[in-house]
Amino acid sequence: MEITSSDLGLVARVAHLTKSYGAGSNTITALDDISIGIRKGQFTAIMGPSGSGKSTLMHIMAGLDTATTGRSWIGNTEITGLDDTELTMIRRRRVGFVFQSFNLVPTLDIEGNILLPFELDGRRLSREERDWIDQLIDSLGLRDRLRHRPHELSGGQQQRVAIARALGTRPELVFADEPTGNLDSRTGREVLSLLAAASSSYGQSIAMVTHDPIAASYADRILFLADGRVVEDLGRSTAEEISRYMLGMERIA
Amino acid sequence: MNRFSAREHVPSILVATLSAAFGISLLQVTGVLATAMTADDLTGSSATVAYLLSILAIVFIVIATYVSAIVTANTFSTIIAGRTRTIALLRLIGASARGQRAAVSREGLVVGLIGAALGAVVGTAATAGLAGIGIAAGFLPAHPYSYFEPVIILPIVTVVLTTWLASWVGSRRVLVVSPMQATGAAQELSNEEAAGKTGRNAAALVLFIIGAVLLALGIVVGLINPLGVLIGLFGGIFSFTGLVLGAQRVMPPALRLVGRAFGRSAPARLAAENALRYPERSSRTTIGLVIGVTLVTMFSVAIGSYQDMIHRAQQDRPELFQGVDQMLLVTVVVFSILTGFSALIAAIGMVNNLSLSVLQRTRELGLLRALGFTAGQVRRMILAESAQLTLAATLVGLVLGVVYGWAGAQSLLGGIQETPRLVVPTVPFVLIAVVVVAAGVLTVAASIVPSRRATRVAPVAALAVE
Repeated sequence: MEITSSDLGLVARVAHLTKSYGAGSNTITALDDISIGIRKGQFTAIMGPSGSGKSTLMHIMAGLDTATTGRSWIGNTEITGLDDTELTMIRRRRVGFVFQSFNLVPTLDIEGNILLPFELDGRRLSREERDWIDQLIDSLGLRDRLRHRPHELSGGQQQRVAIARALGTRPELVFADEPTGNLDSRTGREVLSLLAAASSSYGQSIAMVTHDPIAASYADRILFLADGRVVEDLGRSTAEEISRYMLGMERIA
Repeated sequence: MNRFSAREHVPSILVATLSAAFGISLLQVTGVLATAMTADDLTGSSATVAYLLSILAIVFIVIATYVSAIVTANTFSTIIAGRTRTIALLRLIGASARGQRAAVSREGLVVGLIGAALGAVVGTAATAGLAGIGIAAGFLPAHPYSYFEPVIILPIVTVVLTTWLASWVGSRRVLVVSPMQATGAAQELSNEEAAGKTGRNAAALVLFIIGAVLLALGIVVGLINPLGVLIGLFGGIFSFTGLVLGAQRVMPPALRLVGRAFGRSAPARLAAENALRYPERSSRTTIGLVIGVTLVTMFSVAIGSYQDMIHRAQQDRPELFQGVDQMLLVTVVVFSILTGFSALIAAIGMVNNLSLSVLQRTRELGLLRALGFTAGQVRRMILAESAQLTLAATLVGLVLGVVYGWAGAQSLLGGIQETPRLVVPTVPFVLIAVVVVAAGVLTVAASIVPSRRATRVAPVAALAVE
């Protein structure tokens, strides 16, 4: 009997993951035998310079991309080799996404965007789910924006809609890809506080990819990637500590 | 999810409306003429003429339906190309590919229903108008004609079903949209290159061969019986569908040939490269125009040959072919309506596709401007690209049109006289000149808006676009 992710207190994990592009002497290795786990209920940041493989890692963990070798799990479900329909169901019900470019559907109003995952499932919200969505809408300050279209909102407001959409289905894990990349620093800090609060108050597991030390300082745990390998695994750290560590990495390289 | 957007679907609704109106009106006109001829039968030949007339009506209706299906399928794949990001996003959140495709074909069904309903109204009004003019001018005996024969249900149902089917075929691309495309991290549709292109080429070849054989069979049968034209019609449809499916193999050589004629200046060279870079996009852009030009040429050649033939026969036995000039006139009017609208649709499709391709390349055009291309050079490049696409489509269409037109005339008329004979194709050079001029106008029209837009963007802004 294999050890399951939940035995380890993990919400997602990858084992001996390798991803390479091209063939022969032109082979580029984006991920080089990575094994990590994302802990349940934690806010984890995955950091690293450009080209370190952090986005590739996230895409494979979320089932958007396939690995060259190695295995990957969401919860206790191994997603390596699942077909498109099975991966679709996992994306629909078990993970959520927040992106740098917000990625809202322009033709739907804000409420439509938030309820989209339920609509895709073709089901009505239960009483409990409706209460949860209402609570999210109020705590994210979107109540008076529900009938607006995405383009009528500021960047920070759009990102809050994306967070509401990602948290709405209470997914096992939310993936955030540079969620503050398109925001000014004050709005960016607001968004990060919201993510950190979702983790600390509701126990939401979050995996965030970023290259910004300030963003990473909101996380409970920080994984550093360089050249496709995990090079450090830190607990909660200040932005100064993270910056110092990254500069040190640069110097060694 | 994708809310029904009327603006996106205006070209398709227009196509469905015209196609339904055409089918309904043509059947009604045929009915009116048959009634008129029976009421006024002096020669006793009305049965033969009505028979020929209804075969012609069927041929025209099938062709109109076929053309609108191809144009609609193309329009839908262009719409899908524009929606790739939204579809990718929905896939990312957990929409299934099949569900997304079903949603698109539901839009197709709505387009078909709206188009057929509008077409029924427009078509009936057109028939009533034509009959009124006919009576006023003395062509037609005043007679209470009935416009609501049960047979007009057929084109209505056909238009709804073909539009639905066309939207389903045109939405094939939905299946290859990867959720990764929403993250901006996906490469240029490399998976699409791999997805069943060999199967598609094989299917295209098989269809083309079956079509060519049927076409030949139609010509042979046509030597004895005018029904040969119906066999030939299916031959034409099969072989042309083969060509459309295999357009990615057929169009690039034509584009390359034309591209060489534009010289070696930097704008011309880049334009030639652009037209060839995405064979799928170029083929989609040009195929509508190819169909338009093929149709115009085909009917001109067929009708030219037909007229020659009839006039020759008229000299031999004037009494038998008395009312035929009138029928020719109606046919020419009807055919002008058909080709007029297909040319219009081709033009709309061309403008749409070119603007889309320029929009998708804002960044590249910004780079060219930053590297020192003047606004004029960028405009010339887009104009050259547009001209190249138009010219290649026109050439292919002219060649195909002469072949199909001759095959049609031959299979319909080869056996009309006692001794079977070969029809000499009448190539209308005036028409060719008109087509070339119209293509030139279309080129300029299709490139004005996109190139204006492209050169209005400041280089820095263009480069900043994600």
